[in-house]
Amino acid sequence: MTVQKTERPPSGPTDVLKSDGEQPKDPGKARFRATALTPYLLLLPAIAGTLLLLGWPLVNNGLISFQNLNMRQFILHLTEWNGIDNYKDVLGDEEFWRVTGRSIAFTAINVVLIMAIGTLVGLLLARLGKKMRLLLLFGLVLAWAMPIIAATTVYQWLFAQRYGVVNWVLAKLGWSSMAEYDWMGGQYSTFFVIITLIVWQSIPFVAINLYAATTTIPKELYEAAALDGADAWKSFKNVTLPYLKPFLFATTFLEVIWVFKAFPQVFAINEGGPDRLTEILPVYAYIEGFGNQHYGMGAAISLLTIVILLSLSFYYLRLVLKQEEDEL
Amino acid sequence: MKRKLIAAIGVAGMLVSVAACGGDDKDKKSGADGFKGETLTLWAMDGSTPDAWTKDVKAAFEKKTGAKLKLEVQQWNGIQQKLTAALSEENPPDVFEIGNTLTPAYAKTGGLADLSDLKKSIGADWTESINASSVVDGKQYAAPWFVLNRVVIYNKKVWADAGIKELPKTRDDFYAALKKIGDKTDAEPIYLPGQNWYHFVGLTLGEGAELVKKDGDKYVSNLADPKVTKAMETYQKFQKLSKAPKNKDEATPQQAEVFAKGKTGAFIGMSWEAATAVKANPKIEKDIGYFTIPGATAAKPEGVFLGGSNFAVAATSEKQELAKEFLKIALSDKYEGALAKESGVIPNKKALESNLKGNAAAEAAAPASAGGGTTPLIPEWGAVENPPNPIKNYMTAVLNGDSPADAAKKVEGEFNERLAKKQ
Amino acid sequence: MKRSLFGRTWPNVVAVLLFIGLVFPVYWMFATAFKPTGDIISEDPVWIPFDATFEHFKTAAEADHFWTMVMNSVTVTVLAVVFALIVGLASAFALARMRFKGRRGFIVGFMIAQMAPWEVMTIAIYMLVRDADMLNSLVPLTFFYTIMILPLTLLTLRGFVAAVPRELEEAAMVDGCSRIQAFRRVILPLLAPGLMASSLFGFITAWNEFALVLVINKEAEAKTLPVWLNGFQTVYGDDWGATMAASSMFAIPILVLFVFLQRRAVAGLTDGAVKG
Repeated sequence: MTVQKTERPPSGPTDVLKSDGEQPKDPGKARFRATALTPYLLLLPAIAGTLLLLGWPLVNNGLISFQNLNMRQFILHLTEWNGIDNYKDVLGDEEFWRVTGRSIAFTAINVVLIMAIGTLVGLLLARLGKKMRLLLLFGLVLAWAMPIIAATTVYQWLFAQRYGVVNWVLAKLGWSSMAEYDWMGGQYSTFFVIITLIVWQSIPFVAINLYAATTTIPKELYEAAALDGADAWKSFKNVTLPYLKPFLFATTFLEVIWVFKAFPQVFAINEGGPDRLTEILPVYAYIEGFGNQHYGMGAAISLLTIVILLSLSFYYLRLVLKQEEDEL
Repeated sequence: MKRKLIAAIGVAGMLVSVAACGGDDKDKKSGADGFKGETLTLWAMDGSTPDAWTKDVKAAFEKKTGAKLKLEVQQWNGIQQKLTAALSEENPPDVFEIGNTLTPAYAKTGGLADLSDLKKSIGADWTESINASSVVDGKQYAAPWFVLNRVVIYNKKVWADAGIKELPKTRDDFYAALKKIGDKTDAEPIYLPGQNWYHFVGLTLGEGAELVKKDGDKYVSNLADPKVTKAMETYQKFQKLSKAPKNKDEATPQQAEVFAKGKTGAFIGMSWEAATAVKANPKIEKDIGYFTIPGATAAKPEGVFLGGSNFAVAATSEKQELAKEFLKIALSDKYEGALAKESGVIPNKKALESNLKGNAAAEAAAPASAGGGTTPLIPEWGAVENPPNPIKNYMTAVLNGDSPADAAKKVEGEFNERLAKKQ
Repeated sequence: MKRSLFGRTWPNVVAVLLFIGLVFPVYWMFATAFKPTGDIISEDPVWIPFDATFEHFKTAAEADHFWTMVMNSVTVTVLAVVFALIVGLASAFALARMRFKGRRGFIVGFMIAQMAPWEVMTIAIYMLVRDADMLNSLVPLTFFYTIMILPLTLLTLRGFVAAVPRELEEAAMVDGCSRIQAFRRVILPLLAPGLMASSLFGFITAWNEFALVLVINKEAEAKTLPVWLNGFQTVYGDDWGATMAASSMFAIPILVLFVFLQRRAVAGLTDGAVKG
């Protein structure tokens, strides 16, 4: 099992290369003993840096979330503790629950699409001849490589109201009402653009890794299945699927975490608009915090988002740790 | 004036020497170039500082104080987030332009220095209505710079091509003229994006409508008022003639730059936007004309939003004296008059309004300004203008086919929440 | 196994359609960037830019501060990657080769750090950086990016270090190398692919980062390309040619890096050189 990233790793190679790394060894057998301090010294920069630049902001975020921190306090650097008022406000505001529900639905739709299409494309890769496979891999790698903000900009152009190529195609296909359709004007149409973008960006990761995983399935298993008289579907169900299950499981979680915090895509496409109707939790936290200048509230929303993400991450970690048990 | 200037210098000198007594050796300054080596950072909004005025004021300021002036031009969209952050930082802009509708909100934050003494020294004859937004709880938190209202800026050539001989006097004439342009030429009759909310505010003023109303001691949305609806319907009628995006405001893209391409009959903008157009396409200059936005009847022009700008000094700026020196120069009769002349904006003193004579844009703006107004000058208002501004969203919703009542309902929650949030 | 004509054809047809769908946005970006404005705003799209022009690239490259921001992006990204590699390699070595108390805890800790939601911590980070008077500087940005990409770098390298046969290292040490020499002469070369792979990840993460720089570096002199590109559209509005040229220039380094490493990737994949 090789997958252990939350940020989408940008290319295929690493997974391939990395995977041959995990050979369980017993470090206790080391003949050459360094002093007991050496490992800690080696780890020190990484740990100190992480605590300072990740841990401290996290703690600070917690502290801010218990403060009344608006324009005035912000400008004058005042610290006004207000207990759990921000949380009361946030949790008592139906807007928060609406955004949370929206974030969950948004994540679910994206992940289902990404996993379904990604898996199918991965299986297709395994079935193609060498030339076609290379062609499709090239397309996947290109979509994968596209930087996020460049991609959002391009999608804005593809879906532009005037001269946008999508509207032109739709009009030519007979939907004449789509000729000057304003995709950013409605909640669902904006989400459609964002979801298309995220799915497009995400399929390559799933497809390429899934294809890589299928190549590791021992041929003998298929031969055995064929001897048992299994048809294509049966051998997929009995051989391929069980083999890929842990991979699919882990990838699904990664995609969930990744899509849940897809701030740049949503923000850059339409800043959560129209009417704040496409805000997902990280964007909501930003708009409430920086946009509406209720920094304490924003921090409280951030913390709630972090809690949700952490619980998702823990579930994923348990999964990974179980698989890596021997090595740790 | 001369006397005042001398007095001003005297006051400044006194304050400086008091500061010097404090033992802060940074403040050892006196005479003409006592500020040598310092740099005053000025934030001005996009369009407010015309070239010649900026150059002259900079030269005068640098000559008088020996300090440098660094002008940083800001965009309106998202200015509050940027300003709040900057005011909280170690090195805020020393002097900044702030919109009149935002001034009360910032006065309440403690981020603006008290300019009461400046008012005493140079502001005795500031026009009261223009100064109103700068005064909160009896204290002077900013210095009024200018106000102005929008006019119709049109392309004479396009109008001639359409065979229009006379400038419209009523809203219906205006519409008919634009229609004619649409029929007879291949130009876009008017460029009016869906979120030119300042123009919309003007229309509501014309209908005598209020955007907010009092509900007990709180302000709440009044967008559902039939008068607001009427204003929106007028906006929509004209917007239908435009191909401009319904979900963008007049600055994205800059409407003057669209107009500069010569394929637009007219747009509703501020006098200085003509300069923006000329910069983008010098050939357009000879075709640019202005007229007052026509109202329902020929007797009364359309309601307009009196957009105003004040100068404020950051409370935490270490260059309070230098900042005031700058204000005394920039707001002096000489440069205030020059600004009125160059940009066609209404200056902060009645006596200087004569500078507007002969400025075509200003002459077109003047008839409407008497009937102009602003958004409510309450501290709660600042939050409303933060993006996503619910009024802009209301406009886009209507233009995209919602009934005004539905659209008002849609944004009401957000609007009220913003008006109610503690500062 | 025999397959019908249909059975043989459909995968290829689907593959071609997918290929078009995947590549089209990237193609359209470049195509638009090269098209004269008249072709961009034409009622029927011009599919191939026959009258290619560099005009839009010129507009974008001559935009205020473009080159400053290129320099900023490159500086921040490269430094962050290098720092993360150095710090990460030291830690990876400890975690893969040494046994000590808390080792497992550290690994889990870095796995959690890897999922850190930086996007929602911007308020806290802004205030810390502000109070340290370090806004609009590349220094905090570089260090934050280092920590952002460190967990992935570290965990990836751990796998590679563990994969180097211990016997090799031991053999080197028998030959009289010190442990450090053994590491430098024997292990490091074997780690090259791992270093390359993790720097690629790191590079992309830092190059793409948007939320943090949006908040802590508001001055043009200290912005990076993603924020510039996002703001470019506001300034250039409907000038899609220039906007797409700007996007292209932002995307090219990453695309080139990929094409450069892609052969290795695809070769590795097609050879089935993957172990579970």
